Formats: sequence, C-alpha cells, structure tokens
Amino acid sequence: MNITQDRMKVIEIMSRLSIDRASRALSKTLKTGAMISLSNVYIADLSETTEKMNDDFREMTGVMVDFKGNIRCKFLFMLPVNGSFILTDLFLRQPAGTTKEYNEFTESVIQELGNILASHISNALVSDFDATLVPEPPHVHNDYAGVMFANLVMEQGMSDDKLLLMETKFVLSKNELECYLFLVPEMTSFVKLLDNIGVKT
Amino acid sequence: MKKILVVDDAKVIRMVIKRLLTQHGYQVAGEAGNGREAFEKYKELRPDAVTMDIIMPEVDGIQGLKDILAFDKQAKVIMISAIDQRDSLTEAIRNGATDYVVKPFEDDRMISTLKNIFGENQRDAVDSRQ
Repeated sequence: MNITQDRMKVIEIMSRLSIDRASRALSKTLKTGAMISLSNVYIADLSETTEKMNDDFREMTGVMVDFKGNIRCKFLFMLPVNGSFILTDLFLRQPAGTTKEYNEFTESVIQELGNILASHISNALVSDFDATLVPEPPHVHNDYAGVMFANLVMEQGMSDDKLLLMETKFVLSKNELECYLFLVPEMTSFVKLLDNIGVKT
Repeated sequence: MKKILVVDDAKVIRMVIKRLLTQHGYQVAGEAGNGREAFEKYKELRPDAVTMDIIMPEVDGIQGLKDILAFDKQAKVIMISAIDQRDSLTEAIRNGATDYVVKPFEDDRMISTLKNIFGENQRDAVDSRQ
C-alpha cells in the first residue's frame, strides 16, 4: 500500500499530537517532568524489520495493548527491566533506588502506565481526528526486545507486508530513560480514517 | 465512617486509592480486580460507594456497574478511567454511574467527588459558616 508524502505528514502530526497528550498524562502520573518525543514515523518492510529486531537480545519488560474501534491498532511500551524499577519508585512516590528487583508492584506499575499511555493516545485520536478507538486491557510481558516486537507485529503482518511504525523517545526527570513506544495501526483502516478526515491525496 | 469498595485491575492503583481514602477518613470495605469480583464483593460487603475502573479483563467496569445497580438501585458507583472520551462518559452515565473521574487524577478531585456524593461538601460549608 502506498502512502503519499502528504498523508505521511498528516500521520506525523496525528502521532505527535497523541504522543504529546500521553506525555502530559505520564508527567501527571509520575509527578515529575516526563517528555515523550516522536523520533520517527515510517513505513517499514515487515520481514526486514522483524529480522533486524530478532537480533535484539536485551531483556525487557513491556506492556502490549490492542485497540478496538474503527482503526485496528496495537501498542507496545517496553523498557529494560532495571528501567522499570525507576518508574516503580516514581509511581509509588518512593525514594529512588527503593525498588531493587522485579516484583508484582513493578509489573502492576508497567501495566497501569501502559493503560494510561494507550488511553491518552486514543483520547487524542478520538477528539482530534474523529476516530473511534478504545484500548483493551493491557498485558505485561517479560522477554527479549526482539521477541516482544515480533509478537507485536505478527498479527498485523498476516494482512499486510508493510508496517506503519511510530517510534518515540522518553526523557524522565531530566534523565534519558531508554523506553520504546511503538504504535502499529493496521494500514487499511488507518488510510480509511485519513479519507474520512479529508486527506485524500 | 463511609465504606468504599475499590475496583481496578492494577494492584498499584488499588493501593494508591486505598491509601488516599484511609488518609481522608474513609474505610476501605474491600477490593476487586474486575467487574464480576466487584459485583460479588458488593453483595457481600454492601459498601456505601464503589470506585470502579472501566477497562478490566473478563468483566469490565460498565458490566460491573450494571450488575451492581440491578441488585441495588441506590448504589453509588464512581467510574475511574484513563479514557476521556464522550462516548465512554455517556455510556457510564446512561447506565447509572454517579460520577466519572479521569486518570491520572489529583487527590483533591477524588476526595471532593466522594464528599459530593455523600453530601459532605454542603455539610463542610455549613460547618464553616457556623
């Protein structure tokens, strides 16, 4: 499927606006300056990207969310396991360094952050672009980065050999935290949404 | 002391809400992780109010709300969700929710919502005038 340059520009704006909304929600949740910035929006070849990611053997914790509505979409927020300790301390208002191992609280914090980020991204797409989009309950996973990414794109790959990927970068409390947020909309339904809002070229 | 049932699939959110309620003089009657558990706990504990998440596994908060209100028309159920969308809000209100709080919320917002449904805001105002 071809996406014209004009459409890519609109997609980039939509992504930026929804990521901004999620960023504000994250700051409020963690009561600290949190900034998520969009680092890249692109169309990727499914097999090439999966092959590249398969070589990533970093151990990560992540949360995956499916959306229901007129855009089918998947969301993955993942970060190295020790990064989740920092988020747990911030979320629970504990002194930094309190969380030293992955436990039920860490898992629950990652689950809730996934829920808040996914919900606020969908809120922006609904209010600004007339989409209908509601997240399903989040699922937390612990695995290699490559495996998690493969799980994210597997279903989408059955209907399309190209992926629309939105990648982001996180800065928390002035420290860059290595987090990854991928939003993978199913292309056909996303193009239909662009048609509906009048971006036809 | 008013008793509240706290419903959310995230353990840390239940923890945060429970801590907040206790600090403000409410008693936490119990907790539940989805709409079905919420209904069971409601029948057993008969709390004065429920804080209910919407997106939860197995049985969601809207179904939990419907079940509780079918059992007790007077039940006070506050929906708490990160979904800030008109359709979600109207669905909750149409099905009898007492109020709707968007996550992440400020502590004051949650407490004033509870005070409001228990008529404690008016009482506070009268007390301060006397």
